[in-house]
Amino acid sequence: MIRLLNVSMMPPGVGQPVLRNLTLTVPQGEFRWLLGPSGAGKSSLLRLLTLETRPSAGQMDLLDISVSRASRSTLRNLRRRIGFVPQDYRLIGEWSVFDNVALPLRLRGASERDTRREAFAVLEWLDVAHLADKRPGTLSGGEQQRAAIARALIGRPELLLADEPTNALEDTQARRLLSTFQELVDMGTTVIVATHNEALVREAPATSIVLQDGTLAASGTQDETSAPRSKTL
Amino acid sequence: MSAPLSPGLRSGSLPLLVALMTLLAGLSLAGLTGVQTLAEGWSGAARNATTIEVPSDTPQLEDRTHALIQTLHKTPDVTTVRELSPQQVQTLLAPWLGQVSDTGHLSGLSLPVVLIVAHTGTPDLGPIVHEALPEAVVEEDRRWGERLNGLGSSLVACAWLAVSLIAAIAVLSVGMTVRRSVMAQRKAVEIVHFLGAGDLTIASRIAGRAALLSLAGGVAGLLFLSPVITMLARKLAPFSHGADTTALPATTWGAILASWWNTLHVLPRALLEELGALPLIAACLGWITAQTVVLVWLRRLP
Repeated sequence: MIRLLNVSMMPPGVGQPVLRNLTLTVPQGEFRWLLGPSGAGKSSLLRLLTLETRPSAGQMDLLDISVSRASRSTLRNLRRRIGFVPQDYRLIGEWSVFDNVALPLRLRGASERDTRREAFAVLEWLDVAHLADKRPGTLSGGEQQRAAIARALIGRPELLLADEPTNALEDTQARRLLSTFQELVDMGTTVIVATHNEALVREAPATSIVLQDGTLAASGTQDETSAPRSKTL
Repeated sequence: MSAPLSPGLRSGSLPLLVALMTLLAGLSLAGLTGVQTLAEGWSGAARNATTIEVPSDTPQLEDRTHALIQTLHKTPDVTTVRELSPQQVQTLLAPWLGQVSDTGHLSGLSLPVVLIVAHTGTPDLGPIVHEALPEAVVEEDRRWGERLNGLGSSLVACAWLAVSLIAAIAVLSVGMTVRRSVMAQRKAVEIVHFLGAGDLTIASRIAGRAALLSLAGGVAGLLFLSPVITMLARKLAPFSHGADTTALPATTWGAILASWWNTLHVLPRALLEELGALPLIAACLGWITAQTVVLVWLRRLP
């Protein structure tokens, strides 16, 4: 479960908070679209949820752990339970695609045999297994995005966060990815996807979190959020 | 190759840096050993000798001096008693009293009898000598020994200070190199951190690489140092009783190495051990420094 209570976030050197008094709850095993115009705070919220930064005020619980009070080692273990597809892919350029994808499992101490089997399974599913030995810098944007998705999916995380995960994918690949997200949700993973792709949102109706100027503008189904009234889920 | 869990250290300059530091440390250690040996020699020589001067106007000079020599011979810890010849005394005093005349005497001066007493331990000969010959002047070389010892200790302390400074500069240089490398790979380090890599996992990987590069640099530094050390050993060889200076020129690589090793054996064993340990010390310093720098840097990440 994700629970944010009056959470604000003010990055160092920035005069005003990029997120203000955000309160929301996402039960475990549910899917959420994260919507809003550019600068609304979607990426900042994802940064909070991936533990790249801590809230400057308020209380945040992730996977039933209070982040505000968590020790460094607790945060480290929590990060291993989260999968993230960043908008800029964040692949390590000096490593092969395989080593990038295998990293989360290796950090969890999985055997090399299991790591290899799982990494190739997910790479094959995303049609990039033939690129396993390549360096990310030699791949196209779409291939890099699929490698980043593979890294996020491997080891079936309990919380999956994705920032525009389909912007470099073809429509068929995007639909396949959505069906995978749905499979993960069915298996108990919480999935939050930030996107500008309205067609995609229409294709997979689900509860949305709509941000505006760093605050929660609306949350609910597509019909409910098109005319935002409620501020809680 | 082990599976990557974290970025390693990228630094082409680290081995060269460590090699130069090893070279400097080796030279300082060689200097330190030389100074230590010299200081020990000085203080040992001075500590184990006493000079007795019997004025020339002492009544019955010859008989009483002879009696004093007999007494000294019977004194415990005294190993030898040597009476300097008049020529030796003249030569000894010439710097203060002028040149020896053509006749072999210092004009207008009657020379004292000078006895050099060698002993082990630190017997207090003053009371014994004065009881036998009250007119005699006892110059305890022990005092000079203490002064020389003080000088030697100061020189040794300076040499140690130089070695410590080199170690400190090495630590600082390795630290800055590691920090620069971490900053250059900041993005990769952040990625593995936010995927859940532990601080120790990241730091150990970088520190392991730093240790390996430092070890390589240390070995290279020893290679740079070997001609200097060999030259030093050759200079010392004539003073070493056990050295074989008559060996024939070596013609095979094995013989050349054996001959080189034989040459090095002239040097104190402690120095050879210290020099041999330098690459390992460099590797340890590299590991500890890199580990510390990376762990401190990682504390900035949430």
